[in-house]
Amino acid sequence: MATENQDRFDRVDWDEIAASRGRDLSVNTLGMLAFAVPLALLGLYDWRLVDEREATFGAIGYDIDITSLEYLFVFTLLLFAFYLVLPLYQNPRRTKHYWTEFKRNRPAVVSLVWLAIVFVGGLIGPLLMNAPQQDILISHQPPVYLSVDQANVANCVGEIANGRCHGTWEYPLGTTNGGRDVLTGIVYGMTTTMQIAFIATTIVAVVGISVGTVSAYAGGWVDEVLMRITDVVLSFPTFLMFLLILYIYGAGIGMFILVFSGFAWGGTARYVRSKALSISEEEYIKACRISGANTYGVVRRHVVPNTASSIITQLTLLIPGFLLFEAQLAFLGIGDTEVPTWGQLISAGRSDLAFAPWIVLAPGIVLFLTILAFNFLGDALLDALNPEAQAETDQ
Amino acid sequence: MTPDTDPLLEVANLRTTFDTDGGELVAVDGIDFSIDAGETVCIVGESGSGKTVATESITRLVKSPPATVTGSVRFDGEDLLEASEERLREIRGYNIAHIFQNPQEAMNHCYSVGWQITEALTIHTDASQEEARAKAIDLLDRVGIANASSRFDDYPHEFSGGQKQRVMIAMALVGDPDLLIADEPTTALDVTVQGQILKLLDDLQEEFDMGILFVTHDLGVVAQIADRIVVMYAGKVMERGDVYDVFDRPAHPYTQQLLECLPGTSDSIGGIPGSLPSPTDPPDGCRFAPRCEHAVADCEAGGQPREVEVRPGQAVSCVYYQSGYDASVVEADTGDAETSRGVGDD
Amino acid sequence: MLWAALVSFIIVTVTFVLLSFAPNPSIQEAATQAALQGGDPAAAAERERELRGLNEPLHIRYMDFLQSVYTLDWGWSQYRSQPVTEAVYEGLYYTAQYSVPWTILTLVLGPLVGLYSAANMYSWKDHAATGFAFFGYAIPNFFFAIILLLVFAVWLEWIPVVYNANAAVFSLENVRQLILPVFVLVTGSIGGIMRVSRNESAEFQNSEFMKTARAKGVSPIRAYLYHVLRPTMVPLSTTIVGQLLALFLGSSLLVEIVFGIPGLGRITYEALVAQDTNLVLGTTLFFTFIAVVGNLLEDIVFTVLDPRISYDDR
Repeated sequence: MATENQDRFDRVDWDEIAASRGRDLSVNTLGMLAFAVPLALLGLYDWRLVDEREATFGAIGYDIDITSLEYLFVFTLLLFAFYLVLPLYQNPRRTKHYWTEFKRNRPAVVSLVWLAIVFVGGLIGPLLMNAPQQDILISHQPPVYLSVDQANVANCVGEIANGRCHGTWEYPLGTTNGGRDVLTGIVYGMTTTMQIAFIATTIVAVVGISVGTVSAYAGGWVDEVLMRITDVVLSFPTFLMFLLILYIYGAGIGMFILVFSGFAWGGTARYVRSKALSISEEEYIKACRISGANTYGVVRRHVVPNTASSIITQLTLLIPGFLLFEAQLAFLGIGDTEVPTWGQLISAGRSDLAFAPWIVLAPGIVLFLTILAFNFLGDALLDALNPEAQAETDQ
Repeated sequence: MTPDTDPLLEVANLRTTFDTDGGELVAVDGIDFSIDAGETVCIVGESGSGKTVATESITRLVKSPPATVTGSVRFDGEDLLEASEERLREIRGYNIAHIFQNPQEAMNHCYSVGWQITEALTIHTDASQEEARAKAIDLLDRVGIANASSRFDDYPHEFSGGQKQRVMIAMALVGDPDLLIADEPTTALDVTVQGQILKLLDDLQEEFDMGILFVTHDLGVVAQIADRIVVMYAGKVMERGDVYDVFDRPAHPYTQQLLECLPGTSDSIGGIPGSLPSPTDPPDGCRFAPRCEHAVADCEAGGQPREVEVRPGQAVSCVYYQSGYDASVVEADTGDAETSRGVGDD
Repeated sequence: MLWAALVSFIIVTVTFVLLSFAPNPSIQEAATQAALQGGDPAAAAERERELRGLNEPLHIRYMDFLQSVYTLDWGWSQYRSQPVTEAVYEGLYYTAQYSVPWTILTLVLGPLVGLYSAANMYSWKDHAATGFAFFGYAIPNFFFAIILLLVFAVWLEWIPVVYNANAAVFSLENVRQLILPVFVLVTGSIGGIMRVSRNESAEFQNSEFMKTARAKGVSPIRAYLYHVLRPTMVPLSTTIVGQLLALFLGSSLLVEIVFGIPGLGRITYEALVAQDTNLVLGTTLFFTFIAVVGNLLEDIVFTVLDPRISYDDR
């Protein structure tokens, strides 16, 4: 264990600390800036110069419009790439250690594969497939290999045998009562799912870590006030408040992400604060301070890395909650109707459940599996990243 | 010591193994010892030598599975390893009581100390609540807790470390046990508190006339409390005997080195070089041979050497005391060491 | 106690702020009505504003709002043609019928199954319980409800498809129609509690004090109930209320809609659809108070359960 410990990022890397003294920008930050600045400029251009109804790239002939949500999504993806994926690549030994720990948990590996599918599907699916189109003529087509009583299908695309309409590869998961392709709907739903997952977690992480560290280091009344706010946030009935906001103002998916992540950072903040307080008591931090490290340096170099594993785990376990709430709202028909989601599909298929269960089942199972995968992944991360929990389970 | 009466506890060929992923782990490998009523026997050895497992095997406190306990443990003429789980539960806490190393963690933080002391009475006797309470308060008083009656309802976190160990002792004594097994009860405490607790145990032993099996790695503590000692190393007994004999004339090289580690006895401060052998794959011959400065080829062949009595009550398991070896090589150079009488006799 | 009052006050204030900065649908409605009937929309809007006291300064409206909220003067529900408090009360009657058994089952089964799982750690029993826990909190309740309704009510016809609001509370019919909602909610809420209970119990069952207890001769059942379950309840108490509340506030709404139970959740939903502001406010405030009281209860239970925390420290 003692030798393995060197791979852990909880350990202080003194060379790295020495190097960071000069405030040189790391590769990660440079890379981040290289992509984020053009993105910000594009966003600015889109916001100030392009007419609201016009597509972003309309001026150069592309009919692609980027919504503000998509800007945010790309931005968070960049953050994840440069501060989570790239560091893993930069430290192959550490990564390998995590991977061997992680690999022992088979459900988690399967979960990761599933989430990768959802992620890639959500990222490039909409580029390859056209948005699901309404077409009454092809409503209620059964999924491929399945059949349904002919009486329920107005116009069967596949072959009809013994009075039953058979599914075709054209609509592998069948179609809805409006004739939309269920598979396309699911793939488009992946995009929304990933957007919610990434943007919401980023907001929660940023707010939670900021509040937690500020609270811990400012102390005094600032600490008191921030922690009281955290208490309120923790005991706030977010779902109801969102219903109220929705009722009074109407709300889209952006508002949804904002409200739910805005009331989900309480646990993270509390955890970071307690961790920061205990870390600042450690001898090596005192040594850092004596040798002239400033608070920012201590937070960035010690508090964040030391809390990272727990935060990542917490965040992974928060995502299912967001997805569930979104699906519930969509199911109630009071979610954002502009974006395609799994909840909407489930809701759309409810009335035809008795004879066309695939409309509900397909997105429902996908949603179930995704939530399950996030839970398994969170559980596995807890084991892989937390040496104490590991020791406990080994006993 | 009266050899004509049966000892209170007689352990023979006790062997405790654990099933682990890395194979069978032998924590205690066929040890024998006995305790008479009213006597204090210390098991001494460095951490990991199997002392704790040995004591916990007596009432089968070790979790099984994964542990397997074989051999025989005769307590008052009854073999505890043959006894049913129900019978063992009757004995635990009533005839044989335990005190553990860390009083901070050995008490349940959710219950008052009074509740925890009287729990054994609730289980083993049909004493009424008032009787149990009276007895617990009396015991708390005896172990030196001031204002015992008002502290009965206090919770463990309201006591200091030393006080907690006193409470633990009260908890152990509530069933009037014949044997008290104390597993490093002073290790987690301050040196000053340590002395008080040892004194308390000594006083209580006389009062209750119990045998005490005391486990420690601290020879200073041994000197203070023991009548006889058993030196364990890597699951085997290296040496046993009267505490004065063993301290004055340690026969086994391991015992000698242990004693040298005591502050003030020699200028060696490095401890014993090397580390404990792997419990899943113990070496042949004497367990201590790989670390022994006197080791010869015979030390690392066969099994642990047969125990040889070097003087009445003192026995040692070392090749040099077997017939055909010169025991003087390993005998302690404490000056007046007499020649071993063990050579040749059986 | 003070804290709970403060939180409820903050929430009520937020609600007021949200309301006062929003265009009031009833004013627009009045204006539209007037326009449709050939009247003057501006004048109608003004009349409506006056009627609702919206021309008063903000702070007076705020005081009025606070007063009516805390005196339970929650106004008239246009949609249901009855006072809002009465509507809430009627809804509660149906909500309680499945919430009470659900809560009791969760409170009893969750910790016990978790304990059982910990006692048989890494055996097939533990894996089965863990699998069930994950299934329970990963499957969206409304989706699970739909599937169960399809299988048991539509295909197997074991239970009625349509909820009968007139069934007596303690009748076989009521039991039959409430089995599925209770089952769905229990599977949803029990998972998290089981997991926490399992992990905490695992820690306590290997603890030193468990060894002390066994050394005293305590039987395994007594040891688990007294020495493992009791300390497990301390961290668990902070999870239980949260889990139940989250489900009560979120999923029960959907479960009621799927099963057609005319409880609070359904009333909230219908009020939302029917744009009945008073009723929406009333039900959300009611749920909010439940949440606040729940959190208060959680704090009290935690303090009572853990002797290491004294009231003075809070």
